[in-house]
Amino acid sequence: MDCLIIPATGRTPGVSFDFASGHLRMTGESYPDDVAGFFGPVFEALRGFLDCADGAAIRFDMELLYFNSSSAKALMNIFQMLETVAKGGRPVTLTWCIEENDDSMRELGEDFAEDLRYVVFRMREMPAGGVP
Amino acid sequence: MLAQQYASIKRDLDEKGILFSFCGYLSEGILYSLGEALREKMVLEAADGPTIRRVFSVFVEQMQNIIRYSAEKMSGNAGRAVELSAGMVTIGMEQGKVFIVCGNTVRNSEVPRLKERLEHLKGLDRAGIKTYYREQLREEPDDASRGATLGLIEIARRASDPIDYDFNAMDADRSFFCLKVRV
Repeated sequence: MDCLIIPATGRTPGVSFDFASGHLRMTGESYPDDVAGFFGPVFEALRGFLDCADGAAIRFDMELLYFNSSSAKALMNIFQMLETVAKGGRPVTLTWCIEENDDSMRELGEDFAEDLRYVVFRMREMPAGGVP
Repeated sequence: MLAQQYASIKRDLDEKGILFSFCGYLSEGILYSLGEALREKMVLEAADGPTIRRVFSVFVEQMQNIIRYSAEKMSGNAGRAVELSAGMVTIGMEQGKVFIVCGNTVRNSEVPRLKERLEHLKGLDRAGIKTYYREQLREEPDDASRGATLGLIEIARRASDPIDYDFNAMDADRSFFCLKVRV
């Protein structure tokens, strides 16, 4: 699979995984009515991509403006998958994008970053004015 | 008589500063629609993005608690599988703060565990809540709670005051559970 593209809906995130270039991105908001149903195929595609290791660098841009507590568990899962390949020597950078002044999202970023030893974690501020 | 009766209910809600109130069978679809209305209202009042998301986040976790854990449910097939959970949700303004109250029926057998969790959360300061969140984020959810703990922590984290809860025994099997959160 070269890429996984899922357009965002009002309550599920936009997924744009370009496996050929190693650039993965999630945007929008995440509070699906069926978390397992939404994230299942995302995990599967990502696992497939990470398994056929060519060692090329991975860039993951986490641009979600909001996610609920069940999505938090799913995100944790994704980051742990990335951490595993990073530990194996593949360069992985995770950029946690937050809207300026969004302290809740900044704190959440710090919570997730705590477990990452091999993934390079970066926090990036975006100007306000996205979808609230 | 009819208008008088309902006007008095409305007046009562207005006096308590209540902006929205929904009582009855809830679904994910209702969560979505009420959530949109709540956000639009806050945008019109010129609240900033982070504030809107904080209120919205508490609203979502509270609603999903009812949808998942209400002891009063109805399910069946209406062309597709449908599950509805009874409860109530009320959102209002009080002393310049938004408050969200959710209520639903719970089984008496579940009360002690729920109480224990809520008491534990109430006793934590901001740093304690943060640590607890980090721990639970890494935990596999146990079957009964289906991730409820993280949801409650999320609520406590976004709240500006300690969470308020209460139980009212209905009969030998069930109690009415209420959770009030100020954001």
